[in-house]
Amino acid sequence: MTFQDVLIQQVINGVSLGAIYSLLALGFTMVYGIIELINFAHFNVFMVGSFIAMYILQALGLNGQNVILTGFSLVGVLVVALVGTMLLSGALGVLIERTALRPLRGVPGTAAMITTIGVSYILFNIVLLTIGADAFNFPNPMPTVRWGEAGVVLQLREVLVWVVAFLLMACLNYFVRRTKMGKAMQATAQDQEAARMMGVEVDRVVMITFFLGSALAGAAGLIFGLYYNYTNFAIGYTAGLRAFTAAVLGGIGNIPGAMLGGIIIGLIESLGGQLLEVRWTDVIIFSVLVLVLVFRPTGLFGRATAARS
Amino acid sequence: MVSPGTRTWSIGEALAAPFRRLSSDQQRWLILTLVVIGALVFPLIDRNEGDIDAAANATAFAVLALGLNIVVGLAGLLDLGYAAFFAIGAYFYGVTSSWQLHPEWSSFWEPFQWLGVVAHYQAMGENVVHFTLSFWIAMPLAALVAAFFGVLFGAPTLRLRGDYLAIVTLGFGEIVPIVVRNWPTLTNGAMGLNGVQAPSLFGYSFGVTSSPYYYLGVALIAFLIFVSSRLKESRVGRAWMAIREDEIAAGAMGVNRVKLKLLAFAIGAGFAGATGTFYVAKLQTATPDMFMFPVSVMILVMIVLGGMGSVYGVVLAAVILQLLQSWFLQDLSGWLHVLGRAVGNDWMQQIDLTQSIELIFGIILVLMMLYRRQGLIPATRATKALTLEQQTALPSRGTIDVDLRVVAPGELKPGTAMLEVEKLLKTFGGITAVKDVDLRVEPGSIVALIGPNGSGKTTLFNLITGMNAPDRGRISLLGEDITGLPSHLIVERGIARTFQNLRLFSNMTVLENILVGQHSHTKTGAVGAVLHTHAMLAEERETREHALEILSIFGNRLMPRLNQVAKELSYANRRRLEIARALASRPKILLLDEPTAGMNPAETIELAHQIKSLRGMGLTVFLIEHKLNVVNELADKILVLDHGEKIAEGTAEQVHAKPEVLEAYLGRKVAHA
Amino acid sequence: MTSIRRRMLLATALGAGASLAFAAWGGLVPAQAAEKSVTIGIDLPLTGADAEGATRIKYGAEMAIDEANAKGGVAGYKLDMMTLNDATASAGQYDPAQAATNAKKFVSDPHVVAAIGPEMSGAGKAMSPILSAGDLAIVTPSSTNPDITDPKFAGQYRPAGKAIYFRTVTTDAFQGPNMANFMRDALKMKSVYILDDSGAYGVGIANAYEGQAKKIGVKVLGHDQLNPKEADYTTSLTKIKALNPDAVYYGGVAGAGVKFVKQSYDVMPKVIRAGGDGLFGPEYLSAVGFPAAEGLYATNASPHVTEDPAAQEWVKRYTERYKVQPDDYAITAYDAALVIIDAIKRVAASGKEVNHSNVRDAIQTAKVKTLQGDVSFDENGDINSRVVSVFQIKHDPKFKDDDIIHQYKYIGVAPQSPAS
Repeated sequence: MTFQDVLIQQVINGVSLGAIYSLLALGFTMVYGIIELINFAHFNVFMVGSFIAMYILQALGLNGQNVILTGFSLVGVLVVALVGTMLLSGALGVLIERTALRPLRGVPGTAAMITTIGVSYILFNIVLLTIGADAFNFPNPMPTVRWGEAGVVLQLREVLVWVVAFLLMACLNYFVRRTKMGKAMQATAQDQEAARMMGVEVDRVVMITFFLGSALAGAAGLIFGLYYNYTNFAIGYTAGLRAFTAAVLGGIGNIPGAMLGGIIIGLIESLGGQLLEVRWTDVIIFSVLVLVLVFRPTGLFGRATAARS
Repeated sequence: MVSPGTRTWSIGEALAAPFRRLSSDQQRWLILTLVVIGALVFPLIDRNEGDIDAAANATAFAVLALGLNIVVGLAGLLDLGYAAFFAIGAYFYGVTSSWQLHPEWSSFWEPFQWLGVVAHYQAMGENVVHFTLSFWIAMPLAALVAAFFGVLFGAPTLRLRGDYLAIVTLGFGEIVPIVVRNWPTLTNGAMGLNGVQAPSLFGYSFGVTSSPYYYLGVALIAFLIFVSSRLKESRVGRAWMAIREDEIAAGAMGVNRVKLKLLAFAIGAGFAGATGTFYVAKLQTATPDMFMFPVSVMILVMIVLGGMGSVYGVVLAAVILQLLQSWFLQDLSGWLHVLGRAVGNDWMQQIDLTQSIELIFGIILVLMMLYRRQGLIPATRATKALTLEQQTALPSRGTIDVDLRVVAPGELKPGTAMLEVEKLLKTFGGITAVKDVDLRVEPGSIVALIGPNGSGKTTLFNLITGMNAPDRGRISLLGEDITGLPSHLIVERGIARTFQNLRLFSNMTVLENILVGQHSHTKTGAVGAVLHTHAMLAEERETREHALEILSIFGNRLMPRLNQVAKELSYANRRRLEIARALASRPKILLLDEPTAGMNPAETIELAHQIKSLRGMGLTVFLIEHKLNVVNELADKILVLDHGEKIAEGTAEQVHAKPEVLEAYLGRKVAHA
Repeated sequence: MTSIRRRMLLATALGAGASLAFAAWGGLVPAQAAEKSVTIGIDLPLTGADAEGATRIKYGAEMAIDEANAKGGVAGYKLDMMTLNDATASAGQYDPAQAATNAKKFVSDPHVVAAIGPEMSGAGKAMSPILSAGDLAIVTPSSTNPDITDPKFAGQYRPAGKAIYFRTVTTDAFQGPNMANFMRDALKMKSVYILDDSGAYGVGIANAYEGQAKKIGVKVLGHDQLNPKEADYTTSLTKIKALNPDAVYYGGVAGAGVKFVKQSYDVMPKVIRAGGDGLFGPEYLSAVGFPAAEGLYATNASPHVTEDPAAQEWVKRYTERYKVQPDDYAITAYDAALVIIDAIKRVAASGKEVNHSNVRDAIQTAKVKTLQGDVSFDENGDINSRVVSVFQIKHDPKFKDDDIIHQYKYIGVAPQSPAS
């Protein structure tokens, strides 16, 4: 491999990784945009999502990498898993919002954020205590297809991650910009009181936001599993933290910003690891976070919503 | 109220009866004495080293919780990376009193050897330096080092919103163990430090016996309780709580937010650093794994359970959680196993409740936030209540004699405006909120600012008081340029304000609100607050007297409610309190943003009179008001703002005559129809 | 106000009451001993990240003790166990502070005559000074960091002088280097890239491996650390692939190991992948699966016995009883218990009092026939036999995919000195 090949390969790695961060970052950014809350529960909704996806795939008769599907049946299985995972994860998000966060709406200070830390701990430990600390072999029906051998290698699973992530983000963008509910979300993000006066049901908007954010986290859990053929109770923390950094980087509350932020973090991780040392990755990422917050608190792409008074 | 006749007496109540007969102060002393005695004799009663050791570990966590309580509980800064400072303190001592670093001996080290910080080691062909920093010196030094890192990391990030701070501190908490791990020459990396020296006192080494560590931990707790309580009841503590309650209002009351947040951060970090020294000395080893995120969360759980800002609460919670973890759940599992064996239940024999401790933490966090945010022992209001006599002895209404720092007309150069604004411009995005506004407020006058909703009135106030920086233009107070100063400096110069939507410190008492108002002209720092210096006590006495003077302006509206929490006041009283708080800063000019909003006509008239009497004492007043009768009665001059532009200025009659004003209020089309 | 104050008083009273109650309760605990019984302490991280391996070890020790009791005890003594968990929630895994507390619990209980554990060297470092002061021996089945028994650190880890930290496994000082010898000589490795999982064990074994590899002329292309919390190692692996090494050596446990094995197969399927005992475990069969696990080399710091006919029967008993397969550390734990039981027997036979000091002395002079062969210790507590066994995963469709006994093929012993 020439140095150029290595860089291209690392960009491929980084973008795949970044696509997962992007999907997760969207959940952070949407919730923050609407109720100004850093939702730590999101970390582990993602983790639970990957387990939901694993059980759905197992229920469809897949185990490990033994069953390889192609063509229509492959697409069918993946779509069923994706939709099922998104619905169930979304429902989990709504449940968290309704039971733990809605009663705290309007309570000033850090109460809601601390609650989300608690919820995150609960999810984490329920999985740990019931499913266990084992690493799981995530079922994957995709054939191993590689383009290239000695130099740059592109694999089918990478293409899949890109395509799914891109489609979901495009759908979300359409939903937020074009539908009535999406516009209600934007209005609520800009000014909750004004939106309420204009007849927007704020509670419903918050609920939908949690549903969408959590559904995307579930989707991220599925493609995480398909990409790494692996899941475990502990995957939420690091990925969640990186995704949150991505959301801040892109300008928290800014949906396209979160997508780009995710890709940037993915690239920082892969190229930073290549050019420096992998052991310093977290230091690099958090330094980027601190620098962005200090010098451009609105993120690289600014907040999409107008400044509040 | 339960009538005594219907009561049945239980044994518990019978036992409690003598206790109840004591006054509440006596009760408190009794309990405190019992706790102290219990803590002191515990290692003598329980001879099991394991238990004493667990208790000694618990003291370390209680100290950590007390330290974090200053940051999270008092100042309201959610620090999720607190364990990082713990690690810094631990490694500071670990490295300076072990064999980890052993540079070649040279004469450079001689002065250090003389100081007793290093020893010269010559044996087995080696000629090296052995670091032997004494524990007792290392502890305060470690506190300073950790505090230094607190400032280093706090300085750029404490300007950020609270929730960003949480994430940045979380990142910091991740980075520190990584650096420790990736720097093996200094820290021995993941392998952990070897042979950290145990503390010794008068030639007696603590070694691996638990009791000395336990007593040292208890002493640290006592010291921290003392420091936290004193800080909490001081000017510094009140400023922290004000920041926690409402940052913007705290700034508007003269609190230098960045400085005070940094102070809280540094003090909290320092305590963690000192605890790190204690912990690593006790273990005589340290690995980076000991300082990860779960440690920070555990300390946070202690604070949430005990009550944010509650000094005794967090200690209690720390003890409860440690006992739960190291004794109770283990023993409970043991009992279940015995029971399971007895009844032949396999599952019960295998059950291990210690596994669920983190789940319990999560549940505690959520339930406490949902149902008991104030914690097990709510933070008590330390401010002493006034006696009934003191309250009634004060004038209920009528003559007011308040020492306001007003400017007598003779002191000024003729022609100097109290407040002058020139060509002020502010845009948000594409919207121009304030457009080239000029205005003058003469000393001793009342000027009213009116205009339709969204005409930029509040923005103008925000620009004058430093909440927003103008894009262009100049603001001067008594001829001094104050454009772009931060809000706390503007208060210091003499401009105080109230807010349209009320920004009181809701969970602080009436008196405390007013004491915070005096922040800008008082001086006590953290050291003075802890030591109760003569100057501090005098200042405290004086600020209280001044607070009562200010409150007397509103007669007996607020005086009897001195120790009520602000959020429990009626709406009108909250408005009054906000004005009183602003007056407490001894302003030269008072900016009132819709002071009578939400008041009934009688209350409105009362307030208008009070504003007038303030002017009578020489105070300049600049107010935004919608009620035209108030404006007409009070104002010497009226300014009208529309779409950010000044469209009229003059007396009531002059202004009302202007067609532009009518147009602005009624809409363009109507006016032209 | 009053109600708040009363509640506060109540809570404070509870605190005071609790501390007194605990004091009293703690004082009562040692009183419950029966006649003619001694206690063996067990300290393991039974919760958190390392719980799975710790549980297997616990079963191994438990089995030996139960079998001894079933035969009517040891020289008339019934053996009790005091099993303590050294993992805490605040650490999320083993916690040295809790391990120290547990060591004190052992030391302060006169019935405890010896202990088994800990699993992790980090815990061992915190425990050994305390055990030394209490003259109580502990036998570890799995902690392999050499520092603790290194005479260089004797002043720290056994200030009282006598060895108290015994091992029924070889230390990393042999496991890593011996594998380097094996890989150069048997696998014809000329260049290697080294990874570790940034844990105490992983760094230790990887550093020891690196030192030996350099010494015997293998080109070390680099040494980086993986973050066990991170999911994605493709960055490191791509970087390694570009350097084109013959082999990658991984020092670490399963947390990062599973992901390393999976992803290294994707990125560079043809490179030799090897590691220490951290790569030996059921996770690599169940969670990594085939084909990704195929060809992986792992070592064990003990002689290979699970396939020995004598041990076969033991493996069957273990699997039947606990419904999981034993790994070799379950065996070293069983052996650790055998060592202690033998020591108690000899002390009792000599007519001396069966207490911790005498049992320690007896362990020092042990020569016990165990599952892994004869066990005896040097003056530092290290096992005299320094056998490092090498295994390779080779898929055998006759057995279940996650059968660790049959899917890990025994290759041979990694030599202590390289062929010149």
